[in-house]
Amino acid sequence: MILYLPILLLILLSALGAVWLAKPVHAALCMALSLALTAVLYLALGAHFIGLVQFMVYVGAVAVLIVFALLMTRRGEESSEISARPRSWALGLACAFPAAAMLVTAAIQGAALPKSPPSEPQVSLSDLGRLLFTDYAPAVLVVALVLTAVLIGAALFAREPQKDTLR
Amino acid sequence: MSAVPELLSPSVPWWDLEWLPRLPQRVVEWIVQFLGLPEWLAQIAGMAVAAFTVVGVFAGAFALLSLIERKTLARVQNRLGPNRVGPCGILQPVADGIKMLTKEDIVPARAEWFLHLLAPVLIVVPAILALGVIPYGKSWTPVPLELGLLFFFAVGAMTELSIFMAGWASVSKFPMLGAMRAISQMVSYELPLMLAALGVVMVSGTMSLPEIVAQQGGFHLGFIPAWNLFTPWGLVAGVVFFIACIAEANRCPFDLPEGESEIVAGHMTEYSGFKYALFFMGEYLGLFAISGLGITLFLGGWQAPLPGLGFVPSWCWFFAKLSAVIFVFLWIRATFPRVRIDQLMRFAWLCLIPVSLLTLPAAALWHHAGRGFSGWALTLPLLAIPWLILTVTFNKRMAPQTRRFHYADS
Repeated sequence: MILYLPILLLILLSALGAVWLAKPVHAALCMALSLALTAVLYLALGAHFIGLVQFMVYVGAVAVLIVFALLMTRRGEESSEISARPRSWALGLACAFPAAAMLVTAAIQGAALPKSPPSEPQVSLSDLGRLLFTDYAPAVLVVALVLTAVLIGAALFAREPQKDTLR
Repeated sequence: MSAVPELLSPSVPWWDLEWLPRLPQRVVEWIVQFLGLPEWLAQIAGMAVAAFTVVGVFAGAFALLSLIERKTLARVQNRLGPNRVGPCGILQPVADGIKMLTKEDIVPARAEWFLHLLAPVLIVVPAILALGVIPYGKSWTPVPLELGLLFFFAVGAMTELSIFMAGWASVSKFPMLGAMRAISQMVSYELPLMLAALGVVMVSGTMSLPEIVAQQGGFHLGFIPAWNLFTPWGLVAGVVFFIACIAEANRCPFDLPEGESEIVAGHMTEYSGFKYALFFMGEYLGLFAISGLGITLFLGGWQAPLPGLGFVPSWCWFFAKLSAVIFVFLWIRATFPRVRIDQLMRFAWLCLIPVSLLTLPAAALWHHAGRGFSGWALTLPLLAIPWLILTVTFNKRMAPQTRRFHYADS
């Protein structure tokens, strides 16, 4: 328990850095740190597969995120720093509130955690794979679709505006 | 992770060549036990020495390779290569090391010094971590992980980020361009790399690298080794894996991120002295690691290539294969010109990824249709027909046009 507290603290700190830092690249690197530390937490808890997948998928994905962050902010050099405006504050709160409410209600309504540690479940890799491709296949497909849409949208935003002043 | 190297069995005599690479670990454990120190100290000391063995071996190999590479390139280009320091220039790596250590360490005034410092460190760490899970011999796997393959790719994800950090923190044009090139290249070539490795996982049913090597033991028809390379899907996946390796390791002809003639040295432009040496080292250690993985997955790891050669220590076979693979890397570097960035991306997305995707159903067929003659009969057309179609269309539309230059008509 004592071991996990520093990790949790570091995760929170780097997550705050991801939100507060002005330069998008710094924020993205903080996010990578936070995600990597989450992977360390998983590994420390004994969930090796999920920890390694967390590291591979998210830390690798942050590199791509940075590319898009740069592509989308490099147009004017001065706009590469994000400033918080009242309108974006309101929007952020409006987005964050329902999510927080959902989490809190789920936490309140959920069953209490067992006092004694449960017996270690025996989950093999093939069990995980089977579940992903049968019961959870729709969810995986939906996530894949959302990601593709986001990528296409980002590419559209990042494209140079089609002005023919130069031609 | 519960990957403590087991305490060595005392039944094996110390002069057994098979156990030679682990002799330092055994000696330290003996010393600790002899002094009557507690068991956990013996374990920790043994683990530390085992780690130092791997790092030491590959640091030495890095020094040796930097010389062999220059000598080989010189031979191909009909030169002598380094020949001034020591007999035939064999002390050149030492001279290089001293030069690198004593050079001035320059940090650009506008650079982000912390990220600038962090990047060369973070490029060596994943390479060393990845070297830790590879089975070098029958009884020499530094960290025998259950999910070794996943671990290898997971730590590899850090490389892209550190190359980007180097490019961005330098606040300079060429490093930035190099970093962007590196990310787009590595993200694109990681896909075929992983898809090619996935076929091996499907057929062996495990992600443990020592187990994958153990399954490749034995011989077909008495003399063909049962390596994954000698199956239809393995041949295709192996070739794809090798090409993607070259790109992942930033080697010529895919060394665009640091193409000297275009962007000085890419992400390493603003580095000097020992930090530059660290980049260099990280690149070569990464090359060793990824070649080692390729040998583990497709070339039978430490298995002997012919029956009756089992008396040679298994780690000798591993390093013999590693030398052969590295030599092919050098050969390719000496032979091929650097590709253009659009050719590079097109090759990854239009050729390598479809072909590596094809190896997955082929591996599944091979697994379920029996691994002998019926497997060959079913998987060979599945792979050969799309390959033919792909190459024909590629040659029609994508290949560089044949241009003939004649002397001007007088």
